[in-house]
Amino acid sequence: MNIKEYISSGIVESYVLGLASEEEQKEFEQLCQQYPELVAARNSFELSLEKQAFVNAPEAPAFLKEGFVNFINQNSVTNQSKVIQMDNTEPIRKATGFNWLAAASIILVLVSGYTAYRFYNETITLKSELQNTKEAQASLDDRLKTLEDHEKVMSNPNVAVVNLTPMPQKVPASANIYWDSTSSNVYLVVKNMPKLPSDKQYQLWALIDGKPKDLGLFDVKDDNKVMLKMNNTQKADAFAITIENRGNTGGPNLEQLQTMGKTKL
Amino acid sequence: MYLDHLLISKITYGEAELVGLLQQRNNQAFTYLYDNYSNALYGIINQIVSDKESANDVLQEVFINIWRKIETYDISKGRLFTWMLNIARNASIDKIRSKSYQNDLKNQALPEDASMLGNQSVKMKMDDIGLKKVLGKLKDDQRTLIDLSYYQGFTHEEIAKGLNIPLGTVKTRIRSALLQLRSMIEQ
Repeated sequence: MNIKEYISSGIVESYVLGLASEEEQKEFEQLCQQYPELVAARNSFELSLEKQAFVNAPEAPAFLKEGFVNFINQNSVTNQSKVIQMDNTEPIRKATGFNWLAAASIILVLVSGYTAYRFYNETITLKSELQNTKEAQASLDDRLKTLEDHEKVMSNPNVAVVNLTPMPQKVPASANIYWDSTSSNVYLVVKNMPKLPSDKQYQLWALIDGKPKDLGLFDVKDDNKVMLKMNNTQKADAFAITIENRGNTGGPNLEQLQTMGKTKL
Repeated sequence: MYLDHLLISKITYGEAELVGLLQQRNNQAFTYLYDNYSNALYGIINQIVSDKESANDVLQEVFINIWRKIETYDISKGRLFTWMLNIARNASIDKIRSKSYQNDLKNQALPEDASMLGNQSVKMKMDDIGLKKVLGKLKDDQRTLIDLSYYQGFTHEEIAKGLNIPLGTVKTRIRSALLQLRSMIEQ
């Protein structure tokens, strides 16, 4: 590894700004343990970024601070039950007539402490339930959005449906292509395609005047009822799917042609 | 001079010491953190979230998240500010992507995916702070890439697909734009 080249490749900035992929992040963090100069480069960019962020920073409204201070006061550990050391060197006092008042106030403190504790716990439970609900809602929103996108494409009058049917002697693989002739967008819906070993991927092709055009590689997962947006094409006489090595950049492996369908446009 | 000295003589912490206190959920340390960093974080939030009230919500959320997640901060992976900056950026992007925010915007159509953005001019908010200050000096196509990736949170893959540019090209262009931004802020 040429560490100098690596440092000046833009990875440092990409990592610090949160734009690096997970893999890049892992690699970066590992290399940081090996190369102090990489840590120094990261540190120096972080410092400039930090300095820059304070220049002309807008004033946050004061009432927001109040909200946060209330939050930490309510949630802080120091706010929860404190252990008070009893001083047992104190001489035992004779009971006075006012002892009942002391007893009552202790009971009051205990009761209100217990109530506060219960409310505190309840708040924590409600907060985590709310968080779960929000997460569930977000995942439903995502699914709804997917279905809506689906629906939008399928109900578009400019979209032609091309049925891809399995080739003889191959595994029964079928899929639909939704092809928008005005925007040239191509969407793929997998109907029935077996999962592939991890070094293989499916690849969609458009055939134009007998020549293949790459419309993108894709994987089939268990829950693949989704619509995949593939590369655009303006023309296509037919669409076909082959099995290729993962990340294929060459042409189609026609022996591995799984399914094909002609366009009627 | 005397006044300066008085101002500085308020409590200040070294970064490691501050982190230690924060991880013990020390109230004073959190108040200090808020006093010193809220404006800078409010800056990045405002660059992404243009609606004032939503930006306020995000700031509130960011500090509560910092309070909740402070144990997960690892000083060996970077500075505290960088960690908080990323929390603020992520929360802002989550905000502008949320259904409720998009509904609130009503007529101001927000792009739904990167493919619709190629022909849209890059929106500029809070132009004089942070990276945005120097963003205008980049070439148009580089600015678009930084806007889509950093300010709108699209992945490199989404951008490549949306703008119909090979993934490798997206990555190298973004990195070269970042290097230029860095040299500009360090001038």
